[in-house]
Amino acid sequence: MSYSTFNKNQINPLQEPMFFGNSVNVARYDQQKHSVFEKLIEKQISFFWRPEEVDVSRDRVDFQNLTESEKHIFISNLKYQTLLDSVQGRSPNIALLPIVSIPELETWIETWSFFETIHSRSYTHILRNLFTDPSQVFEDIVINEEIQKRANDISKYYDDLIFYTQLWQTHGEGEIEVDGEVHNVTMRELKKKLFLCINSVNALEAIRFYVSFACTFAFAERDLMEGNSKIIRLIARDENLHLVSTQNILNLWQYGKDDPEMKEIAEELRDEALAIFMKAVEQEKEWAHYLFQHGSMIGLNEEILCQYVEYIANMRMEAIGFDAPFKQRNNPLPWMNKYLVSDNVQVAPQEAEITSYLVGQIDSSVSASDLGDFEL
Amino acid sequence: MSNTFKVRVNGQHELTVDPSEGSSLLEAMEAAGLETRYHCRDGFCGACRTQVKTGTIAYINEPLAIVRPGDCLACCCVPTSDLDIDH
Ligand code: FES
Ligand SMILES: [Fe+2]
Ligand SMILES: [Fe+2]
Repeated sequence: MSYSTFNKNQINPLQEPMFFGNSVNVARYDQQKHSVFEKLIEKQISFFWRPEEVDVSRDRVDFQNLTESEKHIFISNLKYQTLLDSVQGRSPNIALLPIVSIPELETWIETWSFFETIHSRSYTHILRNLFTDPSQVFEDIVINEEIQKRANDISKYYDDLIFYTQLWQTHGEGEIEVDGEVHNVTMRELKKKLFLCINSVNALEAIRFYVSFACTFAFAERDLMEGNSKIIRLIARDENLHLVSTQNILNLWQYGKDDPEMKEIAEELRDEALAIFMKAVEQEKEWAHYLFQHGSMIGLNEEILCQYVEYIANMRMEAIGFDAPFKQRNNPLPWMNKYLVSDNVQVAPQEAEITSYLVGQIDSSVSASDLGDFEL
Repeated sequence: MSNTFKVRVNGQHELTVDPSEGSSLLEAMEAAGLETRYHCRDGFCGACRTQVKTGTIAYINEPLAIVRPGDCLACCCVPTSDLDIDH
């Protein structure tokens, strides 16, 4: 079933499933099948920020005074985050736009991916300030074995869905041979790949960032690398929205509020979804081990970071209908929370820590009547 | 006129909450010195997810985070009856 950039059929988007229905034609948002995606778009746009607005110049001095093991921690985390956002800046678009069927979700996906590109741009902003030539850091991302291990698990579900979607779009359902390998393309198989892909993205945004976030904020607790920390706060705030979008998709399927076949698939593949999440937890713990192999940093060590991963994982897994698998119910890093609060309230705008000051949030609830008396 | 409600947390703490004071369920737990779970405090991350065993709540702001049946988001709701919750 080939893709059309403007489906000529009359379709009612209120009757379409989120994915694998008719492709979207008119981009209209006056009515929504799932209004949460429209609200996510509004919220995300209200969070708009530019990396260049954050002054990172003082970080250069701080960085030079870090110990070698702390430098390793700082740079490795930036590499890992660069990888994650490189993937996220393109993959939701490439994998999900060809199969999405409702306009509010289509636009959410584009908005989401766009913000990932802001994240990517902010890493360049940070690294350019620390190094005259940051090439070596970027180049290591495709060489470094620890990062490669993760890259594979992150991209494989996307790649699989993209490949099968391409086969389906060019050949339709049936057995298709490519390079001597036979692929059985059915709608059921496509939907299964979609389900696993969304679970993998959900796990990525739920926990894969949090070891790096913890390190960043641990530096900030010591008044170090504060420019970087301001940027990461903005990224963390965006990531929470992204996470909530995949949690919503998974729950809509599970509760049978969208495609009934996806409800069946959610039940059928429950164990696989769980395994994807648990593997991400394991990899984050291994990442903590890799970071601290040359020594830890003040306020953090491998053990406490692993406890934090478990604490976060419990929270995230309960949100998509799993039981909390870990005993860690208390927050082992209570100071993390203050960096993750979305401070919408303007307290003292001159304080650079206030994220809303940095990004100029706009009150989106202005109505036409508020402007009624204005004349130019 | 103000209506206060009794909120039982994790089967062990008993708080008295006055919703007309404008503080959320999360803030009420914090005021009582309990350790709470939260990130955004703005209804969009789901970190403050709390299980409502008995009782009813109302949202001050409509949350964006997914609320599964039997749960509430403590950062953006107030009790509208006596509550028994797990946080
Ligand atoms: S703290 Fe984020 S939803 Fe309540
Ligand atoms: Fe991102
Ligand atoms: Fe993201």
